[in-house]
Amino acid sequence: MEQGHVNLTIDGKEILAKDGQTIVQAARDNGIFVPTLCDFRSLNPAGTCRICTVKVAGRFVPSCTTPVSYGMVVENETAELTDLRRALIEMLFVEGNHMCPSCEKSGNCELQALAHRYRIVVPRFPFLFPVQKVEARLQHLFIEHKRCIQCLRCVRGVKAKDGHDIFGFIRRGSDVRIALDVNDPDAVSEETAKKAMEICPVGALIQKRVGFKVPIGQRKFDRKPEGSPS
Amino acid sequence: MSGQRSNKKIILATTSLAGCFGCHMSLLDIDERILKLVEVVEFDKSPIDDIKEFSRMCDVGLVEGGCCNSENVRVLRDFRRHCKILISVGACAITGGLPAMRNGIPVSELFEAAFPAGSIPNDEEIPMLLDRVYPCHEIVKIDGFLPGCPPRADLLWEALNLLVAGKSLSELSFENVRYD
Amino acid sequence: MPSVKSGTRKITIEPVTRVEGHGKVTIKLDENNKVIQSRFHIVEFRGFERFIQGRPYWEAPVLVQRLCGICPVSHHLCASKAMDVIVGVPSDSLTPTADKMRRLMHYGQFFQSHVLHFFHLASPDLLFGVNSDPLKRNIIGVIQAFPEIAKKAVLMRKFGQEVIHLTAGKKIHGTGAIPGGVNKHLTSAERDELLVGTPELNADIMVAWIQEGLALFKDYHLKNKEFIDGFAAFPSNYMSLVRKDGALDLYHGVLRAVDPEGKKIFDQVDYQNYADYISEEVRSWTYMKFPYFQSLGMEKGWYRVGPLARLNTCDFIPTPLAQKEFEQYKAYSKGKPSGSSMHMHWARLIEALHAAEKIRELLNDPDLISGELVKTGVRMGEGVGLLEAPRGTLFHHYRVDPNDQITMCNLIVSTTSNNEGMNRAVSWVAENVISGQREIPEGMLNQVEVAIRAYDPCLSCATHAVGQMPLEVVLEDRDGMVLDRKVKNSNG
Repeated sequence: MEQGHVNLTIDGKEILAKDGQTIVQAARDNGIFVPTLCDFRSLNPAGTCRICTVKVAGRFVPSCTTPVSYGMVVENETAELTDLRRALIEMLFVEGNHMCPSCEKSGNCELQALAHRYRIVVPRFPFLFPVQKVEARLQHLFIEHKRCIQCLRCVRGVKAKDGHDIFGFIRRGSDVRIALDVNDPDAVSEETAKKAMEICPVGALIQKRVGFKVPIGQRKFDRKPEGSPS
Repeated sequence: MSGQRSNKKIILATTSLAGCFGCHMSLLDIDERILKLVEVVEFDKSPIDDIKEFSRMCDVGLVEGGCCNSENVRVLRDFRRHCKILISVGACAITGGLPAMRNGIPVSELFEAAFPAGSIPNDEEIPMLLDRVYPCHEIVKIDGFLPGCPPRADLLWEALNLLVAGKSLSELSFENVRYD
Repeated sequence: MPSVKSGTRKITIEPVTRVEGHGKVTIKLDENNKVIQSRFHIVEFRGFERFIQGRPYWEAPVLVQRLCGICPVSHHLCASKAMDVIVGVPSDSLTPTADKMRRLMHYGQFFQSHVLHFFHLASPDLLFGVNSDPLKRNIIGVIQAFPEIAKKAVLMRKFGQEVIHLTAGKKIHGTGAIPGGVNKHLTSAERDELLVGTPELNADIMVAWIQEGLALFKDYHLKNKEFIDGFAAFPSNYMSLVRKDGALDLYHGVLRAVDPEGKKIFDQVDYQNYADYISEEVRSWTYMKFPYFQSLGMEKGWYRVGPLARLNTCDFIPTPLAQKEFEQYKAYSKGKPSGSSMHMHWARLIEALHAAEKIRELLNDPDLISGELVKTGVRMGEGVGLLEAPRGTLFHHYRVDPNDQITMCNLIVSTTSNNEGMNRAVSWVAENVISGQREIPEGMLNQVEVAIRAYDPCLSCATHAVGQMPLEVVLEDRDGMVLDRKVKNSNG
């Protein structure tokens, strides 16, 4: 075994990972699809969404925050895990007000893409139809709390030029709400709005006045469904 | 169409509850394939024909739209009684859809914004509004779901082929499924 | 079937079939089977204009179109026109590409909607007869008995839907029109798909086939003059958009209204000011309101919209084949407005021909393939969009606050403007066909629906019902005696 490398198996397939990688990173490097939602490229993982849950030694663990270890045996694409992930996605759908037909994120939405990959036609849980006001007072940003899945990507990933955080969150549990300081000019700039919309996996952070500029057929998941080999 | 169980036609009923008829129009978007469809399907109660009441059991019922008022509920229950297999078609039937945007707004507010005080239409001929919009499966048991706003014609065609062959909608390929 | 109640006898037709949306008809008869009351009830209420409040303005065109599945493009484009005003780009100053893409979408929609209505919904009554077997009297029956006609109808609708698909992104509920413009071009491959197409499906074939459809109707007319001319025929006022020079223009223009003689009630009206001309009345037994011209008052001010109205208000049609048909149509009623409900089918087919000609014309325009898509201007707080939907004049009126949220929305949809007209058509049939009859077979009830169907109502559209229009409310008791009358003007 080479220095700094780890052998493990995912669904019976032996792969090689770098020491210190998480299971998700190792899977990606080896062309194995593990669904994620709150995870985002360069950011430190948060483990808030649990979609990446895998089974190791009989225990459910979030693969985005679990480091690989030598000889680890990981279950990923099992019927049990597929149903678990499906249930999580369904829960996210019923907790919010996800109206795909009129949402401008449709076609670029990672939650929608995952639902499609997991062949969801209807949630098994009742719709909650929450009542929440949109935050519309910012000049360049629309915050649709009803679509927020509390992944905290924006909190972790959108920074001002000097590096300070722009987004924070208030309350806890399923009441978590994204918030920002309206007196901070960096927070309310057009550039921040653009970054926020890019980093948000769903249609919760919307840069104003962009709308439906990208026609149907040219959106991200029109071209390539979720879970396709990159 | 292939894989029929017998030469008898499938009896199909359709309705639009609190829907916009887009799902029915998408069904008509099967275009020339309708000429093949009518060889294996017989329409019973449906907005596209003049059969206004059920006179027999139907094999398949397609329901577009969720439940917005008392009349929608009555019709939906009637469909459940008369259809062996009942399918929710489209976003409105499955999630409440656009009409469900009114959920959370008191019904009185909806009316007061439209009609001056004391003039809200009220007659035995017009149905009462429900407290909110309900997806169909919250009112009756539903056997299958076809997402989309509207579901694409190719999806409806695929689904009809499965139903005529006596197969389950779980065999849908999903490549024609969209949520918008 | 008649339902017997104590006191007066009541006939209920429910639901009205082969129309879009939900409606029902009640007819009350006395002991001598004389009709004492007939009503066309709209039974749905959505509250749309209330729940759209708070949404960002760019969502409106994509949201609003879901009021209707046959004519979503009408709402999509009309809302976009209103939003054009909001973003500071009045609808006649869009880029050439945007204007033409939108027009192409609109004519595609007109073609498919008119074909759908005439062939799929209305033709069974004409091809089989209004009293024919109800089990055959539908599109399936047409497919089985007249397969050639059915095939052409299906393909014509397919063509119209494909035009919409390529301009809006989807056949039903697309996103092509955005505030200030459109979001895509046609590629030259897409253009060729429509213009050249296949030997069975291209723009020229569509023009030829819709002319065959017109010939079919005119042939039927010749053999059934009394029915087509006399059935549910009555005078009324008419309103539509016209181009400034009086030409038929389905997408943009000025508002014109004429009386039963063809005399202008108002003309060259900028539709941003529509609320100065039109008010709405509420009646207790239906969720749909009754608009009327303020200048004439409620009793005399009701009007009709749609194909019949448009051919009564316009001076000429700016495409050659449709213009020829128009001249023949006009000559038939000696230049005067036609009030026959069944002439609506004739007018509808002439418009479909016009739409097919316009589609062919536009497809030859290079502006569809390249050019600027969007413009912006000075942001405004209020905007009205108006266009001719297949069923008649459609109004969209919005107010948007500085946060980009919609604060007010008022829609007057085409079918609402025909509310009184449809009720009168129902009354005509009730009084002339049903009244005094001891037995009322199913065919007679179908005739009530035939009268309604002529208006091609879009009842889903008509039932969003909210508004801050000047309103007049009439309270009646069950015998129709007026108890009270209240007026609310636009100040509340």
